[in-house]
Amino acid sequence: MALELKSSDNKIFEVEELVAVQSETIKSLVEDGCADNVIPLPNVDSKTLELVLDWCKNHVDMKLDEEKLKEYEDKFIEVDQAVLYDLLLAANYLNIKDLLNRACQKVADMLKGKTPEQIRETLNIVNDFSPEEEEEIRKENLWAFEE
Amino acid sequence: MCLCLCCVVFIFLILIFYMKMMMGSSFPEEVLEHVFSFIERDRDRNAISTVCQSWYEIERWSRRRVFVGNCYAVSPVILIKRFPDVRCLELKGKPHFADFNLVPEGWGAYVDPWIEAASKAYPGLEEIRLKRMVISDDTLKLISKSFKNFKVLVLSSCEGFSTKGLAAIAADCRNLRELDLRESEVEDLNQSSGHWLSRFPDNYTSLVSLNIACLNSEVSFTALECLVGRCPNLRTLRLNRAVPFDRLAILLRRAPQLVELGTGEASDLRPDVFSPPDVFSNLLGAFSGCKELKSLSGFWDVAPGYLPVVYPICPRLTSLNLSYAATIQSSDLIKLASQCQNLQKLWVLDYIEDLGLEELAASCKDLRELRVFPSEPFGAEPNVLLTEQGLVSVSEGCPKLHSVLYFCRQMSNEALRTIARNRPNMTRFRLCIIEPRTPDYLTLEPLDVGFGAIVEHCKDLRRLSLSGLLTDRVFKYIGTYGKKLEMLSVAFAGDSDLGLHHVLSGCENLRKLEIRDCPFGDKALLANAAKLETMRSLWMSSCSVSFGACKLLGQKMPMLNVEVIDERGPPDSRPESCPVEKLYIYRTVSGPRFDMPGFVWTKDKDSALGLS
Repeated sequence: MALELKSSDNKIFEVEELVAVQSETIKSLVEDGCADNVIPLPNVDSKTLELVLDWCKNHVDMKLDEEKLKEYEDKFIEVDQAVLYDLLLAANYLNIKDLLNRACQKVADMLKGKTPEQIRETLNIVNDFSPEEEEEIRKENLWAFEE
Repeated sequence: MCLCLCCVVFIFLILIFYMKMMMGSSFPEEVLEHVFSFIERDRDRNAISTVCQSWYEIERWSRRRVFVGNCYAVSPVILIKRFPDVRCLELKGKPHFADFNLVPEGWGAYVDPWIEAASKAYPGLEEIRLKRMVISDDTLKLISKSFKNFKVLVLSSCEGFSTKGLAAIAADCRNLRELDLRESEVEDLNQSSGHWLSRFPDNYTSLVSLNIACLNSEVSFTALECLVGRCPNLRTLRLNRAVPFDRLAILLRRAPQLVELGTGEASDLRPDVFSPPDVFSNLLGAFSGCKELKSLSGFWDVAPGYLPVVYPICPRLTSLNLSYAATIQSSDLIKLASQCQNLQKLWVLDYIEDLGLEELAASCKDLRELRVFPSEPFGAEPNVLLTEQGLVSVSEGCPKLHSVLYFCRQMSNEALRTIARNRPNMTRFRLCIIEPRTPDYLTLEPLDVGFGAIVEHCKDLRRLSLSGLLTDRVFKYIGTYGKKLEMLSVAFAGDSDLGLHHVLSGCENLRKLEIRDCPFGDKALLANAAKLETMRSLWMSSCSVSFGACKLLGQKMPMLNVEVIDERGPPDSRPESCPVEKLYIYRTVSGPRFDMPGFVWTKDKDSALGLS
């Protein structure tokens, strides 16, 4: 049983149902009987969708081989930052638990050991605290809540 | 035309900048929360919280584990306002020198207001870990009634409660996994309703860890046996002196899955009488059945003849605590230790002697932590053949050794230099030469150079305790080389304020400094006042800091609580130049405390009492 998925940039992907329903989002659509036509995924571009479907396919194929699967997952998640974020958002949108966990873990590992300024730089986040606010939080963190 | 092009380029660049800017903050909140769930360390969570306002909010709502290193540095109100949904709370109270009875009774560190507040704000609280705090039976009862999912209670060096409080915990904490009373003082109230252990309901089976080693009171063996037998996940069991060694076999057969065991007392078993012989073989069989046992402690009054019952498990042991085994002498200790080839942690009495430590160095190549305690600390003469040589041997033979606590009666600069060169990976080094101001026994010189070698070579040294004859020079070395040093303990050392100044001005990462009986006064303290805001706390007792300086410091540094602890009466009943008995200074975001006893004075006390 094959499903058709359409990425945000209008590329069609033909996928086995068994593979596609690793996404809880798609699974719900199938169960509700809404998957007869092409399923539009406006939040996922073709590049990311291809990767996601590769993950799903391999999780079906290697289901019984824990070691092989782990090797695959470790290699899969070694992507550059921009791709990682796209995967993270796609996994969230498509509700693929294990991919979401893996991607979140990877991003978390990127943040560990960094100062706030380094984190802001890594993720291009603007500091919207006033210097006084930031100092107050920093003081409370350091004086009250740190080893 | 050119201007138009510039505008277009300008707008284009702004769009790119905006898109880049949006990349990081375009994560939906639930995704960020999910990412944060993989971040547990306080330091990392604190970093995340200051990235931007939205991250601050998401982080504070999702922080489940909170550590408070000084209960007076913050208040329950501030905690709850900042973190609305905490599941695991850890609090520390009295300063470390309380372990040596330097903090008078009634000083503070009451946990009751914290639990009172938590009982209303955190119904989902699961874990409470306290160190050096005072907790009442009423509070234990409150815990048992307020938190339906309560799982872990660890009371480390705590006091103020009795077996009545423990009974409440046993009776009502249906989901309790861990009850650990390590080194706490527990009052025994002979309950008419039966022993507190029997208050665990018959259908209670979730115990994973029980440490009652510090209890002086009797234990109902029947209740204990039943409890152990019906809890299949029990992995840690540390018994107290009231549990006879020979009945241990019964417990071990009920719980062969144990990973950590603390034995009870064995004085019933006389060393010269091995009958009934089946007691020995029974114990041997029981121990052999414990295939997961990795940690052993207790051994109160164990007759050396019974030691071989643990031989089957020795090769698997990674942790051995023989610091209460006063009946086991050198040769038996050597026999025991030499069979523990996988030992990582050893706590032992100085009965092990230099010879035993030499054997240890040869057999236990994976040793990481060694503590040697004095069997007769108050004796005038040495009662055992334990010198600096033992420590040197271990430092030579054990490449992973990084944490040391060593009590001895003689030391030399040469030995310290050798130890430093052997073990540059040392992270914790606490040397306690029993007699204060003892010089290098070979040269009769101070031990400055020896300790200097330690701080110079051990670049990752985080904790250091000094002893012996020491001048200001050792502090110069510490200030110069101790860049990673976080905690320093000093007693009977130094010549002048310069010593204190070296430490305060040089040790960049210093968090806790505790000093007793040193000639340190006002100058260094006032000159380094700002440093005190970068540390958790400073303790000084029997030094030369005047009351006047304390007042000045309190005025100069409003974010510090400068506590003068003086049992001779109010400090202003003496001249301002008079040195205070004890001084405890710590930074705080919650201002002055209002639970001070009469012998504690801070600058705010007078205003709190409405006096001028």
